[in-house]
Amino acid sequence: MNTNYDVIVIGGGPAGMAAAIEASKQNTSVALIERNDELGGILNQCIHPGFGLKYFKEELTGPEYAQRLINELQETTVKVFLSSMVLSIHHDDNQTHYVTFINEEGNTTLSTKAIILAMGCRERTRGEIKIPGSRVAGVFTAGLAQRYINMDNFKPGNRFVILGSGDIGLIMARRLSLEGMKVLGVYELMPYANGLFRNIKNCLDDFNIPLHLSTTVTKVIGKDRVEAVEVSKVDENLQPIPGTEEVIPCDTLLLSIGLIPENEISSKAGVELNPATNGAYVNERFETNIPGIFSCGNVLHVHDLADNVTAEANITGKNAALYALGLTSSIRDNTLVVHVKTPIGYSVPSSIIKNENASIFFRVRKPISNAVMVVTSNGKEIFRGNAKEYKPSIMECQIIPSKILSEANDEITLSLEEGE
Amino acid sequence: MKEYDLIIIGGGISGCAIARELSRYKLKVAILEKNSDIASGTTKANGGIIHAGDDPQPGTLKAKLNVRGVELYPTYAKELGFHYKLTGSMVVGFDEDDLKHLEQIYDNGIQNGVQGIELVKDSKRIQEIEPQCSKNAKYAVYCPNCGIVDPFEVAIAMCENAVENGVDVYLDEPVIKIDKENGFIIKTPKDTYHTTYVIDAAGLHADDVARLAGIDEYNIIARHGDLLMLDKECGVKNLMPLYPIPSPESKGVVSLSTLAGNVIVSATAVYREKDDTASYKEGIEELLRGTNKIVDGLNSRKVIRTFAGERAVVENNNNDFWIKPSTIEPNWFHVAGIQSPGVASAPALAEYVIQMLKESDVPLIEKENWNPIRKEPIDFSELTPTEQNDLIHQDPTYGKIVCRCETVTEGEILAALKRNPQPRTVEAIKRRTRAGMGRCQSGFCQSKVVLILARELGVSPSDIHLENKNSWILTGHVKEGQS
Repeated sequence: MNTNYDVIVIGGGPAGMAAAIEASKQNTSVALIERNDELGGILNQCIHPGFGLKYFKEELTGPEYAQRLINELQETTVKVFLSSMVLSIHHDDNQTHYVTFINEEGNTTLSTKAIILAMGCRERTRGEIKIPGSRVAGVFTAGLAQRYINMDNFKPGNRFVILGSGDIGLIMARRLSLEGMKVLGVYELMPYANGLFRNIKNCLDDFNIPLHLSTTVTKVIGKDRVEAVEVSKVDENLQPIPGTEEVIPCDTLLLSIGLIPENEISSKAGVELNPATNGAYVNERFETNIPGIFSCGNVLHVHDLADNVTAEANITGKNAALYALGLTSSIRDNTLVVHVKTPIGYSVPSSIIKNENASIFFRVRKPISNAVMVVTSNGKEIFRGNAKEYKPSIMECQIIPSKILSEANDEITLSLEEGE
Repeated sequence: MKEYDLIIIGGGISGCAIARELSRYKLKVAILEKNSDIASGTTKANGGIIHAGDDPQPGTLKAKLNVRGVELYPTYAKELGFHYKLTGSMVVGFDEDDLKHLEQIYDNGIQNGVQGIELVKDSKRIQEIEPQCSKNAKYAVYCPNCGIVDPFEVAIAMCENAVENGVDVYLDEPVIKIDKENGFIIKTPKDTYHTTYVIDAAGLHADDVARLAGIDEYNIIARHGDLLMLDKECGVKNLMPLYPIPSPESKGVVSLSTLAGNVIVSATAVYREKDDTASYKEGIEELLRGTNKIVDGLNSRKVIRTFAGERAVVENNNNDFWIKPSTIEPNWFHVAGIQSPGVASAPALAEYVIQMLKESDVPLIEKENWNPIRKEPIDFSELTPTEQNDLIHQDPTYGKIVCRCETVTEGEILAALKRNPQPRTVEAIKRRTRAGMGRCQSGFCQSKVVLILARELGVSPSDIHLENKNSWILTGHVKEGQS
């Protein structure tokens, strides 16, 4: 068996597949390692439509979207390892990386010039937000419930309360309703909805499911299975307001309270993580602090759309291939560090090159109805955009031409100037 | 009706420890456990510290059993194949008032016979002992022989060894009625048992069970404790147990790294209703404050689970254990009020109970073929790559990862299912394999575990429970007529 590849991709979801396809187009040898028994990642359980409008210019379901990429992948020479779990990444002094994984055939180590991290993300849990109350059955992350229903054909409950208005929670509210389960309401800690507008409309409004803003679950009640949850209104500091408690009888609590990039393998390999994203710090090539290790998709930062994941992964795949072929170097001059000011939460990349046009992805931490993007460099304004609306649910992309960047010194700072 | 010489009511760590020691003797013994798994009450929800023995008041039974337990643990761990690690511990003080308390604790420790105990009055020395201890700590009592275990692993190991040596275990069998007739006739919803002797190790409900037999000699109240579990990546590694100055009722908020490398913060102390194992907001907040005071560098946002347990406290008993024969029924033995340091004391408690039985003329004749060794289950994540490779070649199910956070393979789950008592629930599998114990809290692996359990036990996934009866996970198919 060949144990050396130009590029190794870890993860076979939309990011990993798209990255592998593009890397392979550069005439490199590519291996893709996927822990599940099939390619597609979480798309396989996302049987609703809404995928592909941006990337494939037509509306697809998750599995259909995945299949498009699987078909493309099959046209390439990419070697796919399924049911294979990567246990570690390490490197030697010659800038060779090694990826060790296990599957039913045993323990395998492959060597490579470039690694693309594309492991996706996991859901935040009850423990992370420390919901008090009893530890009973019937508290599920929305994705786990989605898996039970769409993959395993089992109902995880009858009467649901959903905490969090993230997209998965909204999609699940509709899914449960369609399958005859009762959704009593969606509760959101923040004063605004976290999911996409289209999902609020299609998944809640169309099914008469109430959305309660500035409200959270303050207690899980039950002996063995959820019997009720207590919800409370929260104040402007997001703290529950005593006296506003309401007990809602139900048998299931679904949590859609955010996603976290799964970077445990990355950080063990020495990849530096950005606390604002829980993903790696990358430059404009999506290369991490470790030369030859790249990162893209939801393991880098949580995206709004699979389409955007795919587009990002295409670029990353190509860059990793060029690096592996020795056509680009990790040593670069003229770099600019990218800073952001609140309410911008983070930027990807976190450093860029001066003499190239830059695409900077970011999200805001709160909705702003009208704001202007202002870019400064060492205190001097170098760019001012047009006024527009910003929402936390949407991943924004700011393009800055190289001509403007040439005026920058050693850093740029993105900020939003709020209008009337 | 099933006939036994001796029945232990309650399969927590105390009941399991006693069962294991009793399995040395030619005696027909059974454990009756009301839950779906052993070790699933107070045993599963505590810090897992083998306290050195500096805390209990000198002269108490607690003090004696704690110190003896510390002596016995290394041998027990070896024989029973469970993880035990000597860590050392410090009770930490910040000012002169604290120093007075620490001097008292140090004296206690000396009187209790704690080996190697040291009163530290030098913050540099504190940092040498535990560099992650708060830099503000000025004084400490250091006990080098404190250790850590996973309490449920200890209880399971003891129970499995007892079963190998002939003890029977009945799960899901709460005692609902006890008649006195030539010994005791014990009824559960499933069955009836006749026994000469009873050891009542029913934890929070030991007093209620005794009352079923007309024995009303003490009263148990429940002291609730919240606990927090943090991710392995939380800024702190291999933290030895660090205690604040204790109160009379609690050792206060103790922080430590568990065997697996998580940080656990344990535990608050509030009297609540029996069986209230809910987490409380104020408890969680107290724990966070407590740990931030005593540990430097802990990212307390990395909490992955909050949970709670209840300590069984015998009223008006000076917070001591209550281990004695009933004065009404001499063949009924109370093992009650096993609050902290119950885990640390368990092996010594069993030894003490055996002595008590001998003094009560229970016939204990040693078996010729007693086997003290329990074979340790394979933990895939602890193997070297070569060992992993060899194991997968022998059995490919070890090449299938079920729980990605804790690197638990299908092979380990299948092996756990072959052990006795057999784990039949998602939580029982978790306690034996760690599947679901990691940072995603079973978000990815729960459905896999449910399907494996259903397949191996020959039942529908809808019949698999999280923990006890009624803790159902699934309720039938979404679309009928399909598998």
